Amino acid sequence: MSVALQLVVSGLALGSIYALIALSLVIINKATDVVNFAQGEMAMLGTFACLAALSALKLPLWLVMLGAFPLGLAFGALVERLAMRPLSGGPPINALIATIGLFLVFHHLAGWIWGYDPYRFPSLFSNEPVVVLEARISQASLGILAVSLGVMALLYLFYERTRTGIAMRAASMNRRAARLMGIDVGRVSMTAWGLATGLSLVAGLLIAPLTFLDFEMMVIVLLKAFAGAILGGFNSLPGAVIGCLVIGVVENLFGAYVSTAFKDAFAFGIIVVVLMARPAGLFTRRVGTKV
Amino acid sequence: MNRYLWMATIAALVLIPLFVSNYGWYLLAVTMVYALVALSLSILVGMAGQISIGHAGFWALGAYASAIAMQHFAVPFILAIFVGALVAAAFGALVALPALRVSGHYLAIATLAFAILVQQVLFEWESVTGGRQGLAVPRPSLLGEELQSDFSYYYLLLALFLAAAWMTRNLRRSFTGRSMMALRMSAVAAQCAGISRARHIILAFALSAFLTGLSGALYGSLIGRLSTETFSLSASLSFLTMAVIGGLGSEVGALLGAAFLAVAPEVLRQFKDAEMVIYGVILLLCMLFLPHGLASLGRRWIFSK
Repeated sequence: MSVALQLVVSGLALGSIYALIALSLVIINKATDVVNFAQGEMAMLGTFACLAALSALKLPLWLVMLGAFPLGLAFGALVERLAMRPLSGGPPINALIATIGLFLVFHHLAGWIWGYDPYRFPSLFSNEPVVVLEARISQASLGILAVSLGVMALLYLFYERTRTGIAMRAASMNRRAARLMGIDVGRVSMTAWGLATGLSLVAGLLIAPLTFLDFEMMVIVLLKAFAGAILGGFNSLPGAVIGCLVIGVVENLFGAYVSTAFKDAFAFGIIVVVLMARPAGLFTRRVGTKV
Repeated sequence: MNRYLWMATIAALVLIPLFVSNYGWYLLAVTMVYALVALSLSILVGMAGQISIGHAGFWALGAYASAIAMQHFAVPFILAIFVGALVAAAFGALVALPALRVSGHYLAIATLAFAILVQQVLFEWESVTGGRQGLAVPRPSLLGEELQSDFSYYYLLLALFLAAAWMTRNLRRSFTGRSMMALRMSAVAAQCAGISRARHIILAFALSAFLTGLSGALYGSLIGRLSTETFSLSASLSFLTMAVIGGLGSEVGALLGAAFLAVAPEVLRQFKDAEMVIYGVILLLCMLFLPHGLASLGRRWIFSK
């Protein structure tokens, strides 16, 4: 029982990291109808930049952690303005290919600059486990959960309470009407990319101490996040979070009790089954199309 | 005009191998192998408007099925490649089932899931596929003669590509192809006109998987050894990329995209670590300045005269 509890908590922690990336994907998709394949790589590159700030400038870890979000914000906004904005209005598959291009650029840029060996990344949390109900739960898992839930709460407030957040929601519902109401849709898409990259950079900083930092780190995380977001319906932010938490827990349990070899394939197996049964995901209602 | 363009292209494809050497033949052969995949995507994405980021899965199925048919059941090469293609086509029809219910990003993840499952099963099923060690594939042979050099193999690949391109072209102009395009433009309108969506989507997936499976089988014999790493997500993404870079709307586009995918890494190799960074930048620039692919470059050039 205590082992199961340990697995569930570490699964939730992993799932919450997937969830941050999934939120990034959904935010960009809602604002621009693009699935950003480069999201994970942008997080990875940003994490490398943070590591450089830690080791070269000798900045304290907490300061780098706080600076990560604004750094991601600027990076994402810049990428949107330079690479993605000119493609808006073109065929959707071209925007998809462009994000694959960005993926390749960032992926190999990191390898080029920092080499292909994994780096150790310092963690804010100590290794000493906390004992709850006889289960030894690592502080890192709890810390990750706390940080990501905190970030998600802030995101919720941003969407509900700020003018920009409300403008972004309006633009995702009906871009044309939003434009007529004076919302700058270009700025919305830039904000979305910035916000998404900020979130995913936080995810990168959280996962790097667990997996070591290297240029391959985020590829599988991105796929899991994508799967989780699909499970939740891809258009719903809370749905994406729940979908990812489910994936994190289920794959942890499957890996421990059934088969490690098929752990990754299993996560995708569920997705196919869910898509067959509920094509719009678990948490979004299917909307009939108007003819 | 179009006919002359085609004749010139074919003449060039027949003559080029005479002017290059060993490695050039290999690159040409790889280009033909990729071109079949690009054709298959021009059917699936270009005509039917479906998306797949799992074509490496069909490619792998074709490659392994044909290799196993040759190794374990002594099926001659020319039949084995079609065994590979048919196995892939059967799975293509199966993958089409989720496509009937979902589209867009959902379909992308479903095809991706399929490719990952295929890769993992091939990796773990060691007794049949060799798993980690990989699987040796015999050289291609024709009428009992082994095609020792890539020079002769290239001509066989060229013939297969031209046949496939001709069929794709005819499909594009046939009732079935037009139906697929109508469904892409407006599924509702097409269905009102009596076109069965399910039938055409399953057909598009099966045809596309058939060509990709064929290409995989041919690739296996070209390389001589299969390993599951070849059939990763990045292969699927490269395929989609090459099809869009070339241009989804034409057979020449498929050829150009394939040549790009085969040749660009060779040209960029001299930049060492920067190789793939430059490749990515080229992709971005192509999307920015050539949204309809390399094939539109030729059209633009001809019509501007």
